[in-house]
Amino acid sequence: MKIGKYSVNAFSLFLAGTIFFLPLVAAAEFSFRKPGGKGHSFVNYTWLLQQDGFWPALGASFRLAVLSGALNLILMVPTMVVLNLKAKRYKSIVDFICILPLIIPVVSLAIGAQVSMPEFLQNTEYELVFFFVIVALPYTYRALDSAISAVDIKVLVEASRSLGATWFTTIIKVIIPAIRSGIIGSLFLSFALAVGEFTLTSLLHWDTFPTWTVVAAQQNILGAIAISVFSFALAIFVLTGVGVLAARKKNQNLVLENEEVE
Amino acid sequence: MAKQRASSTLKLENVTRSFGTTVALDGLNLTVEPGELVALLGPSGCGKTTALRIVAGLETADSGSLLVNDVRYNDTAVNDRDMGMVFQAYSLFPNMTVAENIDYGLRARKMDLPKRMKQVRKMLQLVDLEEKSTRYPHQLSGGQQQRVALARALAIEPTVLLLDEPLSALDAQVRSQIREEIRAIQLELGITTLFVTHDQEEAMAIADRVGVMNRGQLEQIDRPTELYTRPATPFVASFVGLANKIPASITGKGNVKVLKQKISLSEFSAELLDGQPVQALVRPESIILTSDFEDDASHGLLISKSFLGPLTKLGVAVEGMPIIHIHLQSKDVKKVEIGDRISFKISAEEIMVQNV
Repeated sequence: MKIGKYSVNAFSLFLAGTIFFLPLVAAAEFSFRKPGGKGHSFVNYTWLLQQDGFWPALGASFRLAVLSGALNLILMVPTMVVLNLKAKRYKSIVDFICILPLIIPVVSLAIGAQVSMPEFLQNTEYELVFFFVIVALPYTYRALDSAISAVDIKVLVEASRSLGATWFTTIIKVIIPAIRSGIIGSLFLSFALAVGEFTLTSLLHWDTFPTWTVVAAQQNILGAIAISVFSFALAIFVLTGVGVLAARKKNQNLVLENEEVE
Repeated sequence: MAKQRASSTLKLENVTRSFGTTVALDGLNLTVEPGELVALLGPSGCGKTTALRIVAGLETADSGSLLVNDVRYNDTAVNDRDMGMVFQAYSLFPNMTVAENIDYGLRARKMDLPKRMKQVRKMLQLVDLEEKSTRYPHQLSGGQQQRVALARALAIEPTVLLLDEPLSALDAQVRSQIREEIRAIQLELGITTLFVTHDQEEAMAIADRVGVMNRGQLEQIDRPTELYTRPATPFVASFVGLANKIPASITGKGNVKVLKQKISLSEFSAELLDGQPVQALVRPESIILTSDFEDDASHGLLISKSFLGPLTKLGVAVEGMPIIHIHLQSKDVKKVEIGDRISFKISAEEIMVQNV
């Protein structure tokens, strides 16, 4: 009997969906169970919100993630653009450097990098921002590199400049929109890594949402599941929000028919 | 449509440019008169694109001068040059509509909105894309994209229009159509234009004058017909059009013995010694079929015959010679078939030779 291509695809999709979603659905169901297992309620979530340190830990994680994402873009976007426009011969070296955070153990990175960190930064949680940027580097580099490789950035820049635009206008109006998918991808990855990073934070004795979760989960197993589901839902919500905002089509600046300009 | 600003004169004086040990331009001198379209033609690496990029300000010359209306432009920044450029690769900004792409240079010049809109409309009309003003580049065909790129370059009313192989990414039919459109617009606006291409048919068809470049230098610049019929150097003779390279020898002053004929040397040929072996450059259309009885006729075996509508191409094998190509009117070659022994002779009154 011939099995159609459509059936194979549908089955593969169903299998992948089951493997991905079934544990999530099961965890969600588990998180709503009342202690003792009889019936469902929001009691585990109420418990979660009432725990000491929940909001400060969540706030710290988001603050650090936002700063990491921003720093990542500030550092990487110009670097990648310059690399592709003016210094392509150094690309293999930068490629290698950006893979290093995957090779170097996090413990070595934490200790080594902290020693070289200025003293005023060692005493603040914001030192984690720099570590998060380093940890996210291999992923953000790839996301930006693939976006830049997909467009002929050199020709776009030359076209813009020859039409009379300054470098600043060229970057804002041409380069950034052209590699927007890479920037969003890079932002997603760096944000997700920063929000979920545990090892470095724990080694350096800072409290963020992942480290707080480990401590809180030891007191209440159903509460621990609720924390996981809550974290996952929050991450999906934030990333989807950013994605929707970024993907939203801008209104056309020049509308010839109505003679209007935004 | 009224002509844009007064046309400009573009001059390159003794311009040189090297990349490491490679000399891209070796003392290039070129003048493009107001309203003229000059095509730079040459093989890959001859320096034609480098010359264009120096004019655009995307490369800097090592020495020499670039003058527009006798004003030195060497140190003028690319965004201050007022030159419109159409690139080989599709260069439209993917995040902008057709109208926004055309408007881009006008916005950069901080022009008033009503003026901008008027100019965008004018340009859309010029390239016949008024209906597509709200489309994005990915919604356009290759030909339409290059027409938008042309409109965008012309919108800023440039002093000089630079075309960097703008048709090379297009298929043959569209290429020929856009080529004609570019020429018509260029003539209509009377804009001084420098056009770079490696396609000689394109250069010959579109340009007022064609400059043939070789190894960073201009070998000859002339009207297309002159370039073809009176090439100034062996390189031009062999690069522009097809030329048979037939072993020959110099016989007496100003003559060359090629096949069984004695023909005058072209006035451009270098001084050569009597008896010196050379290669005669003979155009395929300068050879005719003849009868066996003519004394100076050569003979060979017809090994290929390609019918191309009004023209038929023949390939003839002659002992001790490379394959000789002959282009004839199709009506004149009906009776010959592959395998036939044919007689032919050179009909040109003078030919060019190059050293062996």
